[in-house]
Amino acid sequence: MTQQPYNKPLPQRSPENEEFWAGLESGEFRVPRCNNCGYWHWVPYPACRNCLSTDQTWTKTGGKGKIFSYTVVHRGPGGFRDDVPYVLAMVEFPEGPRNPIVLGTMVDVDPDAVHTGMPVKVVYEEIPDEDVTIWHFAPDD
Amino acid sequence: MGFPQRKAAIVGVYNTKQAKMLEGTPWTLALEAIQGALDDAGLKHSDIDGLSSMMYDASLTAQQMWVEQLGGRPMTYTSHGIAGALVTKAAAAIAAGLTNVVCIYFGNAGMRAGPSKQRAAKEAVPVVRKAPRVPDWDFNIHGAYMSAWYALWTRRYMDQFNAPYENLAEYPVTARYHATLNPASIMGERGEITVQDVIDSPMISSPLHRLDCSLDNDGGYAILVASAEVAKNCRKEPIWVLGGGEGIYTDFYMSFTNDWINDHGQSVRKASEIAFAGAGVSRDDIDVAAMYDCFPVTMARNIEEMGFCKVGEGHEYIKEGHLKLGGKLPTNTDGGLLSHSHCGNPSGMHVVEVVKQLRGECDARQVKDAKIGAVLSQGYAVHGVAGVAILGKD
Repeated sequence: MTQQPYNKPLPQRSPENEEFWAGLESGEFRVPRCNNCGYWHWVPYPACRNCLSTDQTWTKTGGKGKIFSYTVVHRGPGGFRDDVPYVLAMVEFPEGPRNPIVLGTMVDVDPDAVHTGMPVKVVYEEIPDEDVTIWHFAPDD
Repeated sequence: MGFPQRKAAIVGVYNTKQAKMLEGTPWTLALEAIQGALDDAGLKHSDIDGLSSMMYDASLTAQQMWVEQLGGRPMTYTSHGIAGALVTKAAAAIAAGLTNVVCIYFGNAGMRAGPSKQRAAKEAVPVVRKAPRVPDWDFNIHGAYMSAWYALWTRRYMDQFNAPYENLAEYPVTARYHATLNPASIMGERGEITVQDVIDSPMISSPLHRLDCSLDNDGGYAILVASAEVAKNCRKEPIWVLGGGEGIYTDFYMSFTNDWINDHGQSVRKASEIAFAGAGVSRDDIDVAAMYDCFPVTMARNIEEMGFCKVGEGHEYIKEGHLKLGGKLPTNTDGGLLSHSHCGNPSGMHVVEVVKQLRGECDARQVKDAKIGAVLSQGYAVHGVAGVAILGKD
């Protein structure tokens, strides 16, 4: 997926999410979990959506999940234009309550083989000459 | 205390020309629409004392500039949101004595150079040499965009309810048929289409083909909501606000739960419950409707959550032809967002079309004896934002 130079949008890496971005660099996909009620929260918010506690901990997930929905993109925007067809997936993690559903592109996959319920794992892409690692999903064989 | 029925009416509506790359700026398009709506109502700009912006920049500062544009005197009510809800909130504010004439307005002249400070789309797109940075969870990082998001929703809907794509593909066919009867529509002149035409159009983001997707064009519109006192002296018959409701929830293209369909349907469900209860009418009383229809799945889910059919059966309701002129719920008779116009923040045009239907101004696409209409406005989310208005004539 990587081009030289990388010209697709990248996360600004906000300080409040530093533990997440640092996690990706060490091969961990971390999600804030509420220490009061145990809910997991994606996308992260400063307080728990269930009990409004601000006592949340960035918690390592298993980095695996199942495809909740997907699409094969045939017309991609901007820097994605030359990647078509590519697969965009919503992946449901097993951690709960309030299981994270995370959006990402699929790599190392035949678009025709993708289906709802397909087991996938998080994979990590370190972006050359940038200060950030991003995530994708790949089939979990 | 119930909704203040027949205390406020829509007295003026106007759509500018809808097309790609219109001359002007967002401001001048909105201004043209406001002038058109004032003329439709027989009111002057100095009669307006409330503003509800649908503009991309609906900030308080931007509203202040519009107050100055419209005559430089204090407005006593401002609001933002989406059109169906803005009509409803205007009616409530009018009934409460806060304001007398509220103007709901939108204009979009695309990516033009000049005072709007937007890049002209016709200019070459500059080569990006360094990756642009966006908020941490922005979907653009992953190559997602509107059509792709609605493709994800469509896939989930098809999986969950065993809904055949072909049923959903009947909706663009209905919308195009309506557009052929609307001389102002962008796609009407191209003629009717079939389900096979939809399937044969280029794949954009599976399962969505090009003919499943909204238009993307310029345009403006304005809607004037006035007190009964003002309405009785206006040029056209009043179209009364009988009820309405707003439902704002999550689903801003980033945050989802595994109960997506049911959970995020809550906004339309809630707004509809409030609107129908406030209006004191049933679903069977609706003669004509207009609902946000950016993709077929949006339409299917909207008729479900508005209570016109059961959840999961919207695709069958579409397939059975109930939304067509002559059907039991003629909907989006202007051609909707697929074949009339999607001018950026288009949901005010759903209000405009229902008002024209209730006035009997729709010529070849007129629903006979239409007396009560329903509008559902959306935008800014896959399904998390809803504004419902129930409208009726004397």
